[in-house]
Amino acid sequence: MNVIRLLSVTGVACTLAIAPAAAQTKAAPKAQVSAATKQKAAEENANPDALVLADFQKRIDAYMAIHRAAAKDSPALKETKNPADIKRVQDALGAKIRAARATAKQGDIVTPEIQNKFRRLMYPAVQPTAQDKAAPPSTVKDIPVQGTPVQGTSGKTLKADVNETLKENTEERKEEGKQPVVFKVNASYPDDTPLPTTPGQLLMKLPKLPEQLEYRLVGKTLIIRDVEADIIVDFVPNAIQ
Amino acid sequence: MMRRSLSFVVMLLGLAVPALLAQDLTLPMKNGSVKFAVIGDTGTGDKHQLAVAKQLSATRAKFPFEFVVMVGDNIYGGNTAKDYDRKFAVPYKPLLDGGIKFYAALGNHDDPSERFYKPFNMNGERYYSFKPADGVRLFALDSTYLDEKQLKWFEEQLMASGSEWKIAFFHHPPYSSGETHGSDEPVRTQLEPIFVKYGVNVVLTGHEHFYERIKPQKGVAYFITGSSAKLREGNISTTQLTAKGFDTGYTFMLVEIVGDDMYYQALTDSGKTIDSGTVHRVGKVEPTPNRSAQPVVATSGKDAAKPAPAPGTRTAPAPAPGKTNAK
Repeated sequence: MNVIRLLSVTGVACTLAIAPAAAQTKAAPKAQVSAATKQKAAEENANPDALVLADFQKRIDAYMAIHRAAAKDSPALKETKNPADIKRVQDALGAKIRAARATAKQGDIVTPEIQNKFRRLMYPAVQPTAQDKAAPPSTVKDIPVQGTPVQGTSGKTLKADVNETLKENTEERKEEGKQPVVFKVNASYPDDTPLPTTPGQLLMKLPKLPEQLEYRLVGKTLIIRDVEADIIVDFVPNAIQ
Repeated sequence: MMRRSLSFVVMLLGLAVPALLAQDLTLPMKNGSVKFAVIGDTGTGDKHQLAVAKQLSATRAKFPFEFVVMVGDNIYGGNTAKDYDRKFAVPYKPLLDGGIKFYAALGNHDDPSERFYKPFNMNGERYYSFKPADGVRLFALDSTYLDEKQLKWFEEQLMASGSEWKIAFFHHPPYSSGETHGSDEPVRTQLEPIFVKYGVNVVLTGHEHFYERIKPQKGVAYFITGSSAKLREGNISTTQLTAKGFDTGYTFMLVEIVGDDMYYQALTDSGKTIDSGTVHRVGKVEPTPNRSAQPVVATSGKDAAKPAPAPGTRTAPAPAPGKTNAK
């Protein structure tokens, strides 16, 4: 566990320093489909994006086969008064999965073209709507705001929401005197790092995961985490554009 | 030695008495009623959580609630055994030692493995229900992952619950006047039709770090109690939805159910009451498809009599007290 933590701290391949996200809107990410996928799409007369997502599903299935095999002989999580027991069970399963995919690296499951697809899927959800541009929410207090009684529904607010979480986490870490977060595939989720929000508006855009896995959005990095083994399965840097 | 003991007692009194004196509890506090407390966004382990926890414990001396509902973000930051202690077991030790049960819902900052922590009483499930007394049922939902399986389970549970008080609690507020998050539309889109169809009376949420009581929407009363340890000062941008908002202090909520009335009172960490009132359940409502009428109506509290229509929605007028809405 300590070795893993040390690795995750020293790992340079995938360092993410939590810093406030840029406020300006970026242009929509362009589709990046590999030559192999293009060729396959042409041969099968299929939509390249559909092939990319099918490939993601195949890779997740392969991971889940490893997870299930490891879980077969591992103790199951059960209710306990001692939270250390929960961590022990997670770590035991995590160790087996790690051993079975010792060479796993970032991009094995979310390949560059899948990463690109994810960025494109989430992009519209975080863009300001025409309504936002026309009538930004009032910042005046104690005065009923006409016309915008329901907030949190537009891309602008969602982006603000993501940025707010980022700011909150950064402040929390600063207060506790902690170093910037570093993520590494196969490592545990850093014990001292908040598990932040993945807004529903974004989750709806992404392919569904088996119940043993979850998406977590840490700043602009989208993580796929194995909940039962507390393992970072893979992640997408700069997922929010 | 004697002097030291005396000063210790004086110090204890100094801590406890102002807290108790500050409280002005107006709930009926009737024998045999269902009494509980609501806290949200608690798991920081900092002085604010401790202050609210202390006030909550002090309150129990006057208002003997039987359990506490946690509306999510129960453990911020790390999830080590030390974190569970610092952010839950220690702050609420007097209540836990007194046999008070806590029922947790998962927030967006929570690790789903928290459901295996026995003191959260989640039975190892992300969503569950419990019945604290005859005629009352509470439903804990995981609003971060509202998948089909959960929604199906929720509908089945509601269908089986008959004419009980139906109180749902989860993290993300379907309605909110918060500038930071605001109303969670995906959650509302998925849950509101179920609330209306099966006659859910009350919804308790957090996420927003303030207290807000929303004007009843389609017959459902909504409360946000997300400032039991964290606070976003000045974050409420008052809208047509707001019946009462409080974003300048740390809060918790007390609830008492007496027959068809649910009394609520929101207090600060210094024991000051910032909101109170009653939600009256109009008739004992059985699950009814295509329901459009109101199973609850607020009967007291500021702005209680004027339910605000949600944009693009229709709200039926409140029927006369005592009349059932079941069709």
